[in-house]
Amino acid sequence: MIANKRWIYQTVFWGGYMALSLLMLLQYLSKGSGIILIMVLVGLGLCVASEVLRALIIKQGWLNAPSWPLLGCMLLLVPLAAIIVQGGIFVILKTALTLNWVSMPGGNADYRFGSLFGYILNSAIMLWLWCGIWLSAYYLRRYRQAEIETWRAKAAQSKLELDVLKGQINPHFTFNALNNLRAMINEDTEKARLMVTQLSNILRYSLQYSQNDSVSLHDELAVVRDYIALEQLHYESCLNVDWQIKVNANQESSLTLPPMLLQLLVENAVKHGIAKRVGGGTISIVIIAENAHLKIAVSNPGNWQVTDTSTAISNSTGIGWNNLRERLARLGGSAASCEIETSDTLVTVTVTVPQSPK
Amino acid sequence: MKLFIVEDSRLARQELRTLLKAHADCEIIGEAANVEIALEGIETLQPDVLLLDIHLPGASGFELLDKLDYMPMVIFATAFDQHALQAFERNALDYLIKPIAPERLSQALERVRQRLRPSIAATAIAAPTVKKGADDTIFVREGEHCWFVRLGDVSGFAVMGNYAHVWFDGKQPLLSRSLGYLEERLDPTLFFRASRSHLINLKWVSSIQPAMSDGYLVTLRDGRTVEISRRQAKVLRETLEL
Repeated sequence: MIANKRWIYQTVFWGGYMALSLLMLLQYLSKGSGIILIMVLVGLGLCVASEVLRALIIKQGWLNAPSWPLLGCMLLLVPLAAIIVQGGIFVILKTALTLNWVSMPGGNADYRFGSLFGYILNSAIMLWLWCGIWLSAYYLRRYRQAEIETWRAKAAQSKLELDVLKGQINPHFTFNALNNLRAMINEDTEKARLMVTQLSNILRYSLQYSQNDSVSLHDELAVVRDYIALEQLHYESCLNVDWQIKVNANQESSLTLPPMLLQLLVENAVKHGIAKRVGGGTISIVIIAENAHLKIAVSNPGNWQVTDTSTAISNSTGIGWNNLRERLARLGGSAASCEIETSDTLVTVTVTVPQSPK
Repeated sequence: MKLFIVEDSRLARQELRTLLKAHADCEIIGEAANVEIALEGIETLQPDVLLLDIHLPGASGFELLDKLDYMPMVIFATAFDQHALQAFERNALDYLIKPIAPERLSQALERVRQRLRPSIAATAIAAPTVKKGADDTIFVREGEHCWFVRLGDVSGFAVMGNYAHVWFDGKQPLLSRSLGYLEERLDPTLFFRASRSHLINLKWVSSIQPAMSDGYLVTLRDGRTVEISRRQAKVLRETLEL
């Protein structure tokens, strides 16, 4: 609760209590000014007591713990506070009476045992009431906040998922492919039909597998071949690919990697090595299986502006790389790695994916 | 109208040609797949309209515009570029998103026709001028913002090393041209070399006051003040007396 607002609530609650009590004792007021002193002291004292109780409960963390300490506090500390407040009033009132500052109806204050117990009980009830209101307001607010937090977390989660999906297939690629397809329909119907199949394969693959942790090399290769075929229609003679797959057909089916990993490497190579260069160039894709690891190296012409080797990868290509790194880490822990080598004319990205023993 | 296509994908160029067949008044006078070829082609052929892809090998479409002396009307075409499109929405002639919808292309071409009409009439009567006048545009960009600015809306240019600040609409982005280069190419009856560091649009002058050592202090309509050197003050007097 904001401090200012709390003081308004405190003033309303205890001020109201004071005013109401005075109103009920209106007929006695003329007979002794001591009544006013008592009620003012009760109001102020209980107000201070409630503040002290609140501070204590918050400081001790009793709000978060199981409610036993809080219950103990209610049963013991609230009456104790009431006793202290009434004790203080007793001392002040007696002093004031002795010094003749105030007068009481009937000459003296009523401090028989029964009456005293009544005063204390009354104060304790008021404090309990106060605590009841405060605690219910507190827990209601906390409940609401928890609910808001849950919604926020859910929203953040779906945004992340959406970003991941977006990062999968570059919309620039998709729309360029569709545009090229329009031209191809007039030029060569058979090729156009093939393009539709290839584009569907890529879109389906990215929708279906992006949630999985791993796919077989065979499936990934199929989609990358489709991807390259479509990019070659766009860049034509500017995009050449040198495939160096050094695994056999059996290994292709048994080796696994995070989905879209090879696709992302190839897309990146096209983006930096082909699209921006007049005349394009050749991308080479090397796939090797060694010591229970799948090693993929994709290189493209060009030179990478390396600022810091450890962060270079995440800098320029955004979500795609971050996503990939996260998947790699989840899949193989420290054994998975992603390295980038750059010479004057060639950039090579090498990814090592550990294979879990079957 | 004469069109020039700058687009790196052969199929995309083919697609544009197919779409343009529906417009009898459109003639494709040239094509280029990269910036270098485009630069040469546009300067020699001087098309009315440039259909320009933003992503090109070698350099971007924006960089092409930076380098152009002859500035045709520009229609951008791109597959997916929310960012670039935002920068242009307000002042590009038009932009098209690939695959291009035929009706969107028609709309864009209609805009070109409307802009073209008066100047075609003008060139038919008067001999074409080499110097750029008030209705010609220049391409300016700063950071992510791009503008096609009508020279008539430019109040002046201020030197900045080998570059020049362009004053328009309360802004002063940098143009990668020297003041001398600009002076040579701009209509001298419109743009006046006030001093070594300023080139001002005479149509924007709101007041002229005598200043120290026989110079002038000129206030432009956008509130900027420019000093005119003694030598140029004499030239200005002669120009205005005409």
